[in-house]
Amino acid sequence: MDYDVLVIGSGISGMESAIKLGDMGYRVLMVEKEASIGGKMILLSKVFPTLDCASCISTPKMAAAIHHPKVTTMTYSEVETIRRVDGRFQAEIVKHPRFVDEAACTGCQQCETACTVSVPDQFNSDMVARHAAYIPFPQAVPKKAVLERAGTSPCTATCPAGVKAHGYVSLVRSGEYEKAFELVLQSTPLVGTLGRACFAPCESECSRGSLEGAVPIRRIKRFIADRHYQSKHSPGVILKAPKGQRIAIVGSGPAGITAAWHLARKGYPVTIFEAEAIAGGAPALTIPSYRLPSAVVAQDIDNLRQIGVDIRTGVRIDNVQTLSEQGFAAVLMAIGTTASVRLRVPGEDLEHVQSALAFLQAVKTGKRPSLLQMDVVVVGGGNVAIDSARSALRLGANSVRLVSLETRLDMPAFSWEIDEAVREGVELSNGWGIQSISEDGVELVRCTATLDAEGRFNPQYDPAVTQHVGGDRVIVAAGMKPDSESWQSEVMVKPNGRIMVDADTLKTSIPYVFATGDAVTGPSTIAEAAGAGVKAAAQIDEWLRKAPSRLSGEAKPPKVQRDAVLARQTHYAERLPVKADKALVFKPRDFAEIEPGLTEQEARYSSGRCLDCGVCSECQECIAACPADAIHLDRTDEHLATMVDSVILATGFKLFPADLKPQYGYGRYKNVITGMQMDRLLAPTRPYHTVLRPGDGKVPENIAYIMCTGSRDKTVGNPLCSKICCMYSNKQNQLIMGALPLADVSVYDIDMRTTGKGYEEFYLQTAEMGTNFVKGRVAEIVEKDDGNLIVRYEDIEHEGQIQESEHDLVVLAVGVQPNHDVERFFGPNLLGLDDYDYVNETDETMSPGKTNIPGVYVAGTAAGAKDIPESILHAGAAVAQAVAYIEGRRLHI
Amino acid sequence: MSQRRIGVYVCQCGGNISDYVDVERVASQAADNADVVIARTAMFTCSDATQADIAEDIRQHQLDGLVVASCSPKLHTLTFRGVAERAGLNPYQYTQVNLREQCSWAHTDDRKGATDKAVTLVEAGIGRTRLTEPLNPLVVDTMPKALVIGAGITGMRAAVGLADLGMEVYLVEKQATVGGWLKSMDTMYPAGKTPKEIIDQLDEQIHQRSNVTVFTEAEVVQKGGTFGNYVVKVALHRPTEQTISLNVGSIIVATGFDVYQPEIGQYGYGIDGVLTLPEFQDFLKTNPGPMVYHGRPVRTVSYIYCVGSREGREQPNAHTYCSRYCCTSTVHTALEVFKHDPGVHQYHLYRDVRTYGKYELLYSESREKGSLYLKFAADQPPAVERTGDQLKVTVNDLLTSRKELAIPSDLVVLVTGIIPRENDALVHALKLPVGKDGFYNEIHPKLRPVETVVDGVYIAGACQNPKTAGESAASALAAVTQSASILKKGKVQLDPQVAFIDASECTGCGACLKVCPYEAISAQSGDNGQSAYVVSEAICKGCGGCVPECPVEAIRVQGYTNAEIRAMIDGLLMEEVEQI
Repeated sequence: MDYDVLVIGSGISGMESAIKLGDMGYRVLMVEKEASIGGKMILLSKVFPTLDCASCISTPKMAAAIHHPKVTTMTYSEVETIRRVDGRFQAEIVKHPRFVDEAACTGCQQCETACTVSVPDQFNSDMVARHAAYIPFPQAVPKKAVLERAGTSPCTATCPAGVKAHGYVSLVRSGEYEKAFELVLQSTPLVGTLGRACFAPCESECSRGSLEGAVPIRRIKRFIADRHYQSKHSPGVILKAPKGQRIAIVGSGPAGITAAWHLARKGYPVTIFEAEAIAGGAPALTIPSYRLPSAVVAQDIDNLRQIGVDIRTGVRIDNVQTLSEQGFAAVLMAIGTTASVRLRVPGEDLEHVQSALAFLQAVKTGKRPSLLQMDVVVVGGGNVAIDSARSALRLGANSVRLVSLETRLDMPAFSWEIDEAVREGVELSNGWGIQSISEDGVELVRCTATLDAEGRFNPQYDPAVTQHVGGDRVIVAAGMKPDSESWQSEVMVKPNGRIMVDADTLKTSIPYVFATGDAVTGPSTIAEAAGAGVKAAAQIDEWLRKAPSRLSGEAKPPKVQRDAVLARQTHYAERLPVKADKALVFKPRDFAEIEPGLTEQEARYSSGRCLDCGVCSECQECIAACPADAIHLDRTDEHLATMVDSVILATGFKLFPADLKPQYGYGRYKNVITGMQMDRLLAPTRPYHTVLRPGDGKVPENIAYIMCTGSRDKTVGNPLCSKICCMYSNKQNQLIMGALPLADVSVYDIDMRTTGKGYEEFYLQTAEMGTNFVKGRVAEIVEKDDGNLIVRYEDIEHEGQIQESEHDLVVLAVGVQPNHDVERFFGPNLLGLDDYDYVNETDETMSPGKTNIPGVYVAGTAAGAKDIPESILHAGAAVAQAVAYIEGRRLHI
Repeated sequence: MSQRRIGVYVCQCGGNISDYVDVERVASQAADNADVVIARTAMFTCSDATQADIAEDIRQHQLDGLVVASCSPKLHTLTFRGVAERAGLNPYQYTQVNLREQCSWAHTDDRKGATDKAVTLVEAGIGRTRLTEPLNPLVVDTMPKALVIGAGITGMRAAVGLADLGMEVYLVEKQATVGGWLKSMDTMYPAGKTPKEIIDQLDEQIHQRSNVTVFTEAEVVQKGGTFGNYVVKVALHRPTEQTISLNVGSIIVATGFDVYQPEIGQYGYGIDGVLTLPEFQDFLKTNPGPMVYHGRPVRTVSYIYCVGSREGREQPNAHTYCSRYCCTSTVHTALEVFKHDPGVHQYHLYRDVRTYGKYELLYSESREKGSLYLKFAADQPPAVERTGDQLKVTVNDLLTSRKELAIPSDLVVLVTGIIPRENDALVHALKLPVGKDGFYNEIHPKLRPVETVVDGVYIAGACQNPKTAGESAASALAAVTQSASILKKGKVQLDPQVAFIDASECTGCGACLKVCPYEAISAQSGDNGQSAYVVSEAICKGCGGCVPECPVEAIRVQGYTNAEIRAMIDGLLMEEVEQI
């Protein structure tokens, strides 16, 4: 679609430009970055000098603009580039996703009520919070909700199982424990299992980690699982209508279970075949109970039975043939890595030598051997070796020595597991290989390197250095591989036992047979295997339905960078993490769980430490609450291009960031606010319904205004006068005297600049109403214990003496700064700027608003500080010239 | 009359009303009215979302009348007429009830009383709405021509701007030449072009455009016709005295300002060496190089600011306003003086230095180059006297603890401001609204700064308030835009709420004729030969002044008939205000 004029910005200058152009019959595209049009004016209390309610005189303009038949408005959109093409302008515009279907949204605000994330409300100058799902302000146009997503939160982005970690944390923060449980269930039924035994990469990514410590995201999940299983037994999930095609899954480890879970919820009848007597794979069989009690895994597995998954334990499937004969339309091999890698050293088959898997399974499933008085040697440096060593201690071993090829730092086991093992009494022998095993122990040889030059596992030994370690029992944890021998006649299997699949479709060499999880990748973690299960379910669903599966996952915004999160605020209140008190004792003798769960209070507190990195937590509460089904998280940026004849830049201004004057304490002293914040306190849509100071809610009695904050000030790089602050301060003074008749107001100024029509009279009126105008530059502000503020100033009218006065609220009359957005539209250095980065007017005396680019005009404060009437006039000037340009050009074509 | 289907919307105005009026009770009592189909409250009725809700109600409930009880009709009558129109309801079947300015704001201390009053105000609005009939606005063609009065920078820029939009323009100037104040000025800020160059360039642009006709030594004497179609009489003084008639769709008034002329004796004015700012600027222009005044070298110049501006209200005919341009102009002039002679001592005696915006840079530069600034209080103005060869300026400087300082000066410059230009004949001819300060008034100083209460008559430049050249040009172009947004459509709609004389009742007494301020009533012979009066719909403003004059009640104002007014009074007198 082409337009005559592109208007960038929808503040008062942008709206005026668009409406006037439309009235003249030109087609206008108005692009606004925020979710509502209206700019800053709609947020003001009243306007000077008429004291009209800003809202009352803005809303008709906003309505006129949005309903104008010639004006098309795009909100939440940004102009990216503008190029001249054949004498016209081509503008590339990106429409950011609101994640809310504008046509369907009725503005009912139920999403806002349901949202579990609160962030500072920029439309109330950050004085109060708003939700991540929000309507900008009551008079917003269009009054449509928007979901703020800064990106995917790092915890959620990193989860291999696709669990919406930020989502369940924010639900717990809101006390919605059951909903949190259900949110995890959307990804995997292994809520309790992952809550205890996940390696929690989310916590390593947590942005709070670089402050006082990460949010205990895993333990919060354990809390919601424990809480759920205490009271409820059936997962609150809705199943799709039953489908006809039956699916067989071989193996009930995390991958098989998770795949079964998703397929069953899609309506497929699923049967799981498990060779062992107990379902659950490694979590049920080999992960020791002190880390993961069997009951927890059983509860997770029960979720599947509740939704009708048929789990047949003790049934070993050795080939596809048997399954296809039973009429299964698809088969998933999720057989894991249940076979042990052999050391290939002499003595490996002696009777006192045992594989770690066999040992751990025996321990966990009840046939607990006694190792009393025995010296145990565990071979291996991975997590299974650690599990074996710590289990051996618990079985009464006299000593447990763990022998690994790697140095302690290079051991594949998680470092905290190694630390805990050592604290429990496991001794480490690092850098040793096994030469042979004998009846009374093992012969070690010095390992000089584990990897070769190409980084492959290829240990090197120094045969000159050997050692004998005595032991009554040897447990070998030298690696695991799939038990896939029997399948080799049907599907392609690699030499290391792993099943070959197409990386995208997970299909094996037989069309209806899929494989996933550790059987394909080799040993991984529970979370990674669960993720593999999700992927397999999606592929099977897609193949069976011959249509894209929603299980494939929605488009995710990119991961939010930690630096960006931490930069959002100048400082964060310190909130120390809950201590992770594991019950570690030296030489423990039982398999009691070593990590305590979080109490409800701890869980709430811990989730409250979340920084809401992505803003939206994807908790999905809004989706459930929306009566119009208008919320869609899978939306992405839309890019579009348009051709226009002329461009009006109405990008407005930025307020001076008051923390750049540290001597005034803004951001540190709670009772030092900006002029815009005072305007919000006085507005009809004010955040507190009265004027009060933010520090303690006290109604102020003695208010100071510090004029020229960030203006006429070379120390902050802005020697210009901002023009509007004198008058807006006068206006606020008068409104304060109406709202708080007993309050004293002092204004510290250098020159009072009330030059517009009726302004001087307004200033006199302010003085007559009782404002105390003090000629003085304020040097610094000091906060007292009671929150009051000492203003130290040079008293100009009294020989420049340094005076002090106490106030209970200080308002910094912050000025105007250029909006740098305008610089990027035309590419480097094409649009002329003045020395202070405002858009340069090449002939401001005769043709105000004209820029150095023919056909491009500037309206309002984008060209420098202006009050509202000046902006209106300036917009009128830009419009007159834009139209003259268009007509002149058309005449010549 | 059959029952009506009226919708009533009571606005909270974000607390402006609901803090003092129980809006829920107002709505519920309105709902009790038999003609009211729906009555609701809203936080901001004017918000786009509530507008959409009202439009939906109009459609769904097939409303034939609409009442919004919110703020002053000045603010939102057009807003809600628009809502009605969008939803298919005749916009003149809408009534705005003022619950804010006339109720909640006036009775902040009496919630019950305010609520009772609000109930009756709404009842009055319903009463009127019940009797409304659909009205259709009169549509008239507009003349794509504009008249610009005054050929200073504002008027000239406006003329060029209009011509560039394809409009035919008449530019009328009282003086013999175009260019206004600027043509005689030598320098100005921002640098680049001199004022004279700017005027010459505009003059050239005007000559290049065939659709601009300039009349110099000419004055507007009369305006007739209607909005979009005015007939303006212009008296031409050369080459011969004659009056011509111009048909235009809009008029831009750009008659500029006058400079304040101090009285003899004011700050020593009249003493040799005491000059006004324009006089000093003229002197500079004719004295290149080091300044010599009346044979004496000028080593020290003192400026006294705010002469004739920011005057105390106690003075008769005080100019209480700030003249806006003079601080910057003086600071700029002082910089020019340094170019003549960098060694000149310059003292600025000021009250507040108002070099707003980027003009602040000039102020900084002038201080860096050596200008000294002394601040005096409004109630302790400096004094100027001549002692021998020199002038002496005495001032109590606030910056040095009100110490009295005596500054021997070679020249004293009185920084004189801008005053409104007297132009009674034009004001009368165009019915221009004049403010307390003598400048012309816009319809709304915030959002409608170039429009006046007279449709199609716009103001631009310093006739409205003191402005710099650039600000004047901006307002000129804004007036161009405003004109074009009306004239480019080719048609305007006129309010149909005008007077109507029932010819069968009119006795031809002529009483109405005498009171009509718009000359909208004229005689017409009726069918029976008896003369009766008729109202020109296009000229009538619907003020209603004629209605009570008519002895036989033959006149009614559409939309405000006697019956409607009576119904409103009945509503206000409603006795049974529900007691809670």
